[in-house]
Amino acid sequence: MRKLSVVLGLLVVASMVLAACGAPAATPETIVQTVIVEGTPQVQVVEVTPEPVKEEKPAVLRVNAGTYPDIIDPQKSSFVIEIGHLKLIYQGLTALNEKLETVPGAAESWKFNDDATQLVFTLKKDLKYSDGSVLNAKRFEYAFQRNIDPATAGEYASITDEIVGAPEWRSADTTAADYDPEAYKAKLGVKASHADGTDCVDYEDTACDTLTLTFSKPAPYFATIAGIWVGYPAKQENIEEGGDIWWTSSKYQVGNGPFIWQSVDPFVRSVFVPNPNFAGPAVPTYSIEYSYITDSAVAFEAYKNNEFDVVASMAEDLEAINADPDLAAQHMQWAGSCTFKIQFNLQPTWNDKPNPFTDKKVREAFALAFDAEGWVKDVDGGLSSPTWTWIPPGYPGYDPNSPLKFDPEAARAALAAASEEFNSPEKLNALGLKMAFGDTARNRVRSEWLVANYKKHLGVDIALDPVDTTTYTAIQKDPNTFPLLSRGGWCADYPDPQNWLSVYWRSDTTFASRPGYKNEEFDKLVNEADATIDPAKRMELYKQAQQILLADIPAAFGYNSLNHYLVKPWVKGIITTPQDGMFPGDTVPWTITIDTSMIP
Amino acid sequence: MTTYIIRRLLWLIPVILVVGAVTFILMHNTPGGPWDTDAERRQVDESTRKSLEAFYGLDKPFWRQFVAYMIGDWNNKGEFVCGLPCGNFGPSYRQRGVPVQSILFRPPEDENGNPKPWYYSRFGYSLRLGILALTIAIAVGIPVGTIAALKQNTWVDYLSLLIATAGISVPNFVIAIFLIIIFASGLNWISVVPRSWDSLSVWILPATVLGFGTLAFTARLMRTSMLEVLRMDYIRTARAKGLSERVVVVVHMIKNALIPVITILGPALAGLVTGSFIIETMFAFPGMGRAYVQAISQRDYSMIMGTTLIYAVLVALANLSVDFIYVLVDPRIRLEE
Repeated sequence: MRKLSVVLGLLVVASMVLAACGAPAATPETIVQTVIVEGTPQVQVVEVTPEPVKEEKPAVLRVNAGTYPDIIDPQKSSFVIEIGHLKLIYQGLTALNEKLETVPGAAESWKFNDDATQLVFTLKKDLKYSDGSVLNAKRFEYAFQRNIDPATAGEYASITDEIVGAPEWRSADTTAADYDPEAYKAKLGVKASHADGTDCVDYEDTACDTLTLTFSKPAPYFATIAGIWVGYPAKQENIEEGGDIWWTSSKYQVGNGPFIWQSVDPFVRSVFVPNPNFAGPAVPTYSIEYSYITDSAVAFEAYKNNEFDVVASMAEDLEAINADPDLAAQHMQWAGSCTFKIQFNLQPTWNDKPNPFTDKKVREAFALAFDAEGWVKDVDGGLSSPTWTWIPPGYPGYDPNSPLKFDPEAARAALAAASEEFNSPEKLNALGLKMAFGDTARNRVRSEWLVANYKKHLGVDIALDPVDTTTYTAIQKDPNTFPLLSRGGWCADYPDPQNWLSVYWRSDTTFASRPGYKNEEFDKLVNEADATIDPAKRMELYKQAQQILLADIPAAFGYNSLNHYLVKPWVKGIITTPQDGMFPGDTVPWTITIDTSMIP
Repeated sequence: MTTYIIRRLLWLIPVILVVGAVTFILMHNTPGGPWDTDAERRQVDESTRKSLEAFYGLDKPFWRQFVAYMIGDWNNKGEFVCGLPCGNFGPSYRQRGVPVQSILFRPPEDENGNPKPWYYSRFGYSLRLGILALTIAIAVGIPVGTIAALKQNTWVDYLSLLIATAGISVPNFVIAIFLIIIFASGLNWISVVPRSWDSLSVWILPATVLGFGTLAFTARLMRTSMLEVLRMDYIRTARAKGLSERVVVVVHMIKNALIPVITILGPALAGLVTGSFIIETMFAFPGMGRAYVQAISQRDYSMIMGTTLIYAVLVALANLSVDFIYVLVDPRIRLEE
């Protein structure tokens, strides 16, 4: 009985508390109205309950950013999530428009010399940082110097190696007693000046509006590179005052981008507000909140609960999305920036055995036996797109023409036409083929599907070789341990065929030399294209180079990534590009508006 | 007592040295290194790799790297840089150059640019979550285990068995997503993504999920221990003396049954503080569990060493505190020389 009393008492208290927590009722007000009754004005006193005033919601784009960035430093960052933060805060000399064309950023114009070994930028007038301080060419000079400085050791430091003096400084022995960084800086082909060529005074010099880059070889594509994050003008004094942890404070991250990094609660939330001093096409009309939920199921729940306006959708969520008409209408999908392939080891031997992929017919067999559409449907749930070429759609240099396609019969015929030691599944099986992959749940599914695919269409047995993901990267760096078969890919740093062909497949690059790809004709074409100033001729040379690459079949070209997000209907004006990284339209974020009247 | 404490604390030194050595050897012998990031991205080139290795001292002999971390070493400028004895856990490899102790122990700034209190650091968050999880585990687990023992083979006992089995066997990320769906998406009692961690209510769910396994284990252990004590002669004597059941249970039974439970609570606290990777991922909790696991896959050597040594110290200190709690609970136990 005593226990029952206690329980009842608690229930009474709880119900009182819950009742007290209810929404407060609107308070009636007494107002005086004048009412006309048949021409005779009469004054009546009535009591009415006013409609509650609808609180106007702020225009905030709430995005799930995923992982919290490891470092947000223009000259040290390299991951998409890090760059996604940087491009809100800063803007480079050039920018990209919705067609991925290189357009003015902080620079209003630029001009190459006759042989594209020099590039002169003229900055826009009256450029300012978000704090109102002067932004001049000396800031960009510092940015490029800092990127090249070996003390910075940024992962993208090599991207500016065309600049005179850059490779020499980066490879200098910084521990040598006579190491003098100023001497290297003086020889660097980066110079800020006035329009007449005279030296700039300091960072406050408003007439310092010219930046000249001098290259060791023609670099007609460099105007596009000048717009990427390594050239963002972080303030030298902030970096020096903040030390190694300068980038963790929104106080020091003063930029010239479309947004100001207002506040950060590490691993919880970052808030960005519009920068009124942004010199781009328009100042955004909304703020951004990045949250850092790494679990996609939780992010999906939060989206359905109206706690996010934008989340990336996953293959696991597609069934739920497609089953709900509202969610289906909110699902956006567009071309991404990556191409994935099944890379063949092209070294003369593998594991001290003859390497079957040195035979082009074997490569042809494996390439033609890859059911790219089946992969997209079964493995990626429709969240990728099959391809038979290298440069993805939407990027300059994209060419859908390819000698490759899924044709199992032709694949078997190609294998039968291979050299004597490799021309049957039994002979290949005797070699003990292996496929290495970084051991995650997703990669396991991918690899198992691939092995089954080749068993089905070629009759070839391939053993799976799972390794830890970091180990997987490590073994790919050494030609002696490069896997026989491995899934790999490339995502564009910037929209230019040079990034897809010269950077990745030219034989002296690490990407090509590790698996062992080498074609002198290809090298000659891309070298010529890299140095060609005429855009049409350049594109034609890259096109020919890509055709050579596809004809060589160094890999089974595969599939392109797609960007896929759920976006609430009150987010309007989005213009997507394949180069978007954090949310739809983040390449040109100033076109987005938030219709706050629609927010529940 | 003082001598005992000092002796136990001094034992921390060889513990740290051994744990440090084993961790150092294991991580450097694992294939791959800190510059081996995602294969689909631009990789660190040779010049940059050399600069990075010089900065982090990876170009020095193996033994010298270890001594530099555990004691200290002279840098290229001839200056002595004190290592672990000065609280220097080394610079992070991923958060380029940021000291590990800053990552774990430095609180963020408030809107005025002033540092927040220490418990807003990643370690502070993990410590608070761990203590709350342990509190829930004790506050629920001990009574549940006690009642289950007293009501053995009744529906109360079976219910506690069900809870214990679920807590031990169901992965906590499954429990987490179910609770989020029920309480956040379904009942809207809380938001899926907390706006801030300043109010206690947002801590309840992650702490419950984190402590659920410990709660289950504590309940089972308490039940078993209580059943043993229940059958002791002194309990029969206490009842025969006419003492009330409440006094018998609380004063005589629970105190004696707690000894095995206390034994596991110390290491459990250490585990709860550092082993919260899943919880931090599911709830976007700003603790240090994620840092620990990510450091391993990223080969962030300084972070691996730092977090492992912190864990070792926490376990040692937890075991030491358990010894003191024994004395409080059981007057027969003395911390003898």
